[in-house]
Amino acid sequence: MNESVQYIYWIEHGAALGYLIAWYLWLISLAEGTHIVAHLSWLYYRTEDYRPLEKVGTFQPFIILALVPLFLVVDLAHPERFYTMFYRWHWTSPVAYGVYIITLCMISYAIHAYYLFRPELMYRASREGPLQGIYRAVVFNRIESGDVREIRKRQEGRERFWAGVSLFFSFMGLIYLGILLSSFKGRVMWHSSVMVFIFFSLGACSGSAFLILLTHLKNALAHTSAKALAEQRRYLAEFGIILKYSLVAQAGVFFIYFVLLQYTGIGGRLASEVFFSGPRAFQFWFFQVAVGLILPFALMLFRKMRENVVVSSIASIAAMLGTLYGCVNIFIGGQLLPMTHFRWEHLESEPGKMAFGFITMAVMFVLFLVTYKILPYENIGSQEEASLVTHNILPSENI
Amino acid sequence: MEKTQKSLNRREFFRKFGAQVTGAGAGILLLQESIPALAASSPRKYGMVIDTNRCIACHGCTIACTSENNVPDGHYRSWVKIMSKGKYPNVSSHFLPRLCNNCEDAPCLNLCPTGATYRTHEDGVVHVNREICVGCRICVVACPYGSRFINPITNTADKCDFCYHRITKGLKPACVDACTGKARIFGDLNDPDSEISQYLDNRSTQRLRADLDTRPKVHYVNADENIMGPDYGRLLGRRS
Repeated sequence: MNESVQYIYWIEHGAALGYLIAWYLWLISLAEGTHIVAHLSWLYYRTEDYRPLEKVGTFQPFIILALVPLFLVVDLAHPERFYTMFYRWHWTSPVAYGVYIITLCMISYAIHAYYLFRPELMYRASREGPLQGIYRAVVFNRIESGDVREIRKRQEGRERFWAGVSLFFSFMGLIYLGILLSSFKGRVMWHSSVMVFIFFSLGACSGSAFLILLTHLKNALAHTSAKALAEQRRYLAEFGIILKYSLVAQAGVFFIYFVLLQYTGIGGRLASEVFFSGPRAFQFWFFQVAVGLILPFALMLFRKMRENVVVSSIASIAAMLGTLYGCVNIFIGGQLLPMTHFRWEHLESEPGKMAFGFITMAVMFVLFLVTYKILPYENIGSQEEASLVTHNILPSENI
Repeated sequence: MEKTQKSLNRREFFRKFGAQVTGAGAGILLLQESIPALAASSPRKYGMVIDTNRCIACHGCTIACTSENNVPDGHYRSWVKIMSKGKYPNVSSHFLPRLCNNCEDAPCLNLCPTGATYRTHEDGVVHVNREICVGCRICVVACPYGSRFINPITNTADKCDFCYHRITKGLKPACVDACTGKARIFGDLNDPDSEISQYLDNRSTQRLRADLDTRPKVHYVNADENIMGPDYGRLLGRRS
């Protein structure tokens, strides 16, 4: 029947939202996922050598969330009106909630990170050093008595409270992303109950991969003591396992998503065609499946490979790239389905905007390395050992 | 390896927090239930009927709308989709005049983060407040009818509002006045004596994407089903 239909005049609408918003969604899922993975693994193992990772997994997402609004603001037709979103709150819009969730998330990460760093900051503030003034200012010039362990014990209630709050907002952030897309009832690709789980799986994959990559980068570019390296070796291998199973979960969630699309009428079948043989097919099969799922899964399969720095770094980069394209494919692909006519909607390729995303990622890494030099990420024992070894002094027993 | 003790208050915190979240959720659900009822209680409900049998695809409505509302080049508040069907010599032409449906449950309005898209309570017409719109394009993506665009002059969302500046002065929308075949009837759907209500009482009509339950206020008469929505079948067929 369709063969006898000829379209003579119609209007093409194009994809209204481009790569910047896709990056915005991915970076939020990355930040939330990083925090959830880091914090839940600390809760699971409850050992002190996981604490540096919890600090990374709290402060780095804070940096990401502080930069993420840039992507939204740059994409607005009226960027100077961005702030109005805070006080012109429209309660039926998920974005209106999202502005608050992401802001509160960022604030809770900052406070949680403060309590995580506070005992070590106190310790540093009480000792002579080039950055002593900064440490004193950060702890508001109120230095508590006792060693790091005692200070941590005294503030444990507050630290765990803010850990719980930040974890709550992390989950809310991922739920927000899922609800945001699934609330577009005219967009068959997004209007799915699986969307929340897609962002959870993307967050878990990118979060565990990001933590592995950050740790390797930090070890390669900044001096890390032998003790800290030994501590990290164990948890990095365990993070490899988390990454491996997150990849399996992501594959499972996408499988369920495609099965559901098959039963969502002709629109759903066309939506899955966007991935399989449509305009996002190459990005799906190459970046999302081959590079983002199969390659990191194969590299994380065996313990020896998980413990190898180069192999696990490649697996992490591949998994992050895969989740990025997972996000981009769903977000851009969802807008390529025509609303009123018979052809795929058009989207100009935006290499500049993709480059902006990658440059922002690089800036985030640089910021992390700068903060690594200033903030006491490692446990004091490991850090002191490193500094004392550097100065050819034996490590103290009493730290 | 040092084990840290669990905080005793965590369970209590989550219990209290859970109760608060549940309470807030229940409140929001109750509010959500009450909003459509408020929308439906508007004194007037402006709508339009388009008899596609009378449309001759002259594009007079498109030109009148562009001229009346200063619509920028390359963008349309109102347009006519044209399709032919069948094989020679059995060919039929089908026209579908398109405009914003001013839906009763408008996805663009629900998803607007700042409330720049709003509905006038008196007549149910959906508007864009250009002073508030941040140009996030969410409404453009949300509209299942492709009726919205970002106006490159104002950098805000733009759409048909039934020529609100005219209808509030007792005039008809520009497209209705310009329609050569008198295919369009505009009026108050809540007024049983209005021409549009009487027309709808006597005829069965169609609405676009009825499956989405947006309750569009633009009704069509005798529109071909192939022209009414996106042609997904053609795309799937082409792929296979």
